[in-house]
Amino acid sequence: TPCDSQSGQPRNLRSEHFEMEPETMETKSLTEYFNKMHMDVMMGMR
Amino acid sequence: MPNDNQTVHVHYRMEASCLDLALEGERMCKMGDYRGGVSFFEAAMQVGTEDLQVLSAIYSQLGNAYFHLQDYSKALEFHHHDLTLTRTTGDRLGEAKASGNLGNTLKVLGRFDEAVVCCQRHLDIARELDDMVGQARAFYNFGNVFHAKGKSICWSGAEPGDFPDEVMIALKKAAEYYEANLCIVKELGDRAAQGRTYGNLGNTYYLLGNFRDAMASHEQRLLIAKEFGDRSAERRAYCNLGNACIFLGDFEKAAEHYRKALQLARQLKDLAVEAQACYSLGNTYTLLQDYERAIDYHLKHLIIAQDLNDRIGEGRACWSLGNAHTALGNHDQAMHFAEKHLELSKETGDRTGELTARM
Repeated sequence: TPCDSQSGQPRNLRSEHFEMEPETMETKSLTEYFNKMHMDVMMGMR
Repeated sequence: MPNDNQTVHVHYRMEASCLDLALEGERMCKMGDYRGGVSFFEAAMQVGTEDLQVLSAIYSQLGNAYFHLQDYSKALEFHHHDLTLTRTTGDRLGEAKASGNLGNTLKVLGRFDEAVVCCQRHLDIARELDDMVGQARAFYNFGNVFHAKGKSICWSGAEPGDFPDEVMIALKKAAEYYEANLCIVKELGDRAAQGRTYGNLGNTYYLLGNFRDAMASHEQRLLIAKEFGDRSAERRAYCNLGNACIFLGDFEKAAEHYRKALQLARQLKDLAVEAQACYSLGNTYTLLQDYERAIDYHLKHLIIAQDLNDRIGEGRACWSLGNAHTALGNHDQAMHFAEKHLELSKETGDRTGELTARM
């Protein structure tokens, strides 16, 4: 097994695989927009 | 000729139909069916709308759906449409959001300089609107861009903490942006956001060679994942904690973390990450010179790699099995796996693997 010359540990046994958190995508909600539109219509009818 | 009432009625029907289709697309995406969502959004666009806020939301959600489907050129196209539209209408909040999404997409495509411009626009508008949530999100995106940039310049072959200056500068910037994000999300009491940032900050400290701080960050990430019952995040944290422990020379603790990661991967029925956990465990038991256990985990890794038709994974497993059998003096078995490794290296065009196998 190839070793790290300084530490004597097998270099290739260290993980190069680490886990990133997901990206946060911005959202533009149509449901919220629809509810607001509906509410505005209802208010206008009063 | 239709009279005014008829025209209004036709417009109302068209708007209702476009919005209905788009709402269905949104519902499907929320359920995780991005392909279905895309079909409905495309249909909504075919019908068309004169409501530019609805159109902006459709562009944005289509971009996000393609992003989740990993079709990044399509994601780029729609987030770009959204940016152009929001700039034309003077919708500053919409422009900030479009910039954030465009930045994330450009980052994935490796176009880091353009991504930085988008992150800066996102941050500038969030500041202008006194939007603290937006500012925090822009900082997080900035961190992700610099982290990815650092990793892309030089990764394989070098040791964490010992990369060229250009890499270290990018990674230090990433850490600064994550820290700036943490200040805000802590003030806002947003635990979910804190969890994400601690995870990525931990990985950044890891690459900077700062393993103690990496451990502390991943422990925070683990704590928050448990608070939310988020098993995927918990698994990620255990895997990252295991990696940091290896560098600190605490192999027993690393094995403990990787075992927990493996247990969660099995619960989540995610074969690819189960294979990764087995591979990490195999390597850790090799470091502990417990070759029997190492063989057990490398065999588990091999079986999953074969199931997934992952030839590179199979090659790695065979190489590791060859080494472990050599250490135990099982020369026939060692030769069998070495030959298998050579065969797979040739097949996958892995020249380094082929040379190692011939040794």
